Amino acid sequence: MKKVFIALAILFTILSVIFTVLPLGTLAIIPIIPALLFAFLGFRNAEGKPKQVSRVIMMIAGVLLLVVIGREIFVKDEIEVDKQFEQKKAASEKETAKELEELEGLE
Amino acid sequence: MKTLLFTIVAALTIHAGFSQVKPGETFVYAASYNMAGLMTQLAQVKMQTNTVATSKSSYLHLSCEAVTFSKWDSFFKIRDLYESYVNPLTLKPAMYKRDIFEGGYTKKEKYIFKNDGRTVNSTVQKKKKPETKKTFTIGSATQDVVSMLYKLRTVDFSRQKIGQATAFTIVFDEKEIPVVVKYMGTETVSAGNLGSKQCYKVSIAARTDALKGKDKNLIWLTADKAKVPALIKFSIPVGTGQLALKSATGI
Repeated sequence: MKKVFIALAILFTILSVIFTVLPLGTLAIIPIIPALLFAFLGFRNAEGKPKQVSRVIMMIAGVLLLVVIGREIFVKDEIEVDKQFEQKKAASEKETAKELEELEGLE
Repeated sequence: MKTLLFTIVAALTIHAGFSQVKPGETFVYAASYNMAGLMTQLAQVKMQTNTVATSKSSYLHLSCEAVTFSKWDSFFKIRDLYESYVNPLTLKPAMYKRDIFEGGYTKKEKYIFKNDGRTVNSTVQKKKKPETKKTFTIGSATQDVVSMLYKLRTVDFSRQKIGQATAFTIVFDEKEIPVVVKYMGTETVSAGNLGSKQCYKVSIAARTDALKGKDKNLIWLTADKAKVPALIKFSIPVGTGQLALKSATGI
């Protein structure tokens, strides 16, 4: 049983790392919680090397949880200044004014 | 008598149109998408108005842009721009433009609304496909999607009863789509820098595959003269999301 717990803990930890790296915000907590839970169950029932593995998994999952919470509290959602997009908007307005002028001339 | 009637109609038109939508307005929203029950902020949506003048007339330029937050840019970059050039009094469109970039997919659309009010010349260009041109007829009251959003702000909901519906018709993807706006009462919601505001809650129903569910596409408009959209909730085939007002200036 302890092997199953550790295997599940490893699986959820891998998912947690992926979810934390991706910009999914608090969604990363979803795999972190089972990773912590299974690592704890594995830690409680195991001895020797498996116990060490469970401890490491718990530490990784704990750090990931702190990263997710910290990012949510301290990192603000911002947009990058996209010069190309700004130029496109300005060009569109200029072009439309010209087109409207031409259309008025036709009517 | 005719002059009096004209004055009343003109006054009502000005009250219904221009008074709520002014040049210089900027509304900034945070767009979130529901992923596994958690709202994840994806993009910033900005709605702006400004005046564009030609030698003969003046237009109100209504623009809506969606830009993904920088953390999302490497995964799914969005740079969408929807624009409408309208008559400042009636909000009747003269030109509509859509230029979208969504994770590599691009589409450009331009509709020229002819002066007869019933003919549209459209130009569409999708990614890696040749430009197509089309001319089609529409109803005299048909709006583009951007000007319809602004036109919604001219509806006097204070005189409406709960459940009362207002009909619009929009042209989107070169098709006319009937839209029904149902007044659902008032509610207090957070409206960014405006604080908590009492709002008119309205439900939008459109005969299109883009929107899903009954009374699941909702807009809360501040129950004042400006009728600022404070909160927008939407339900689309791939999930639900919302646009929450962060700041409103120039109202």
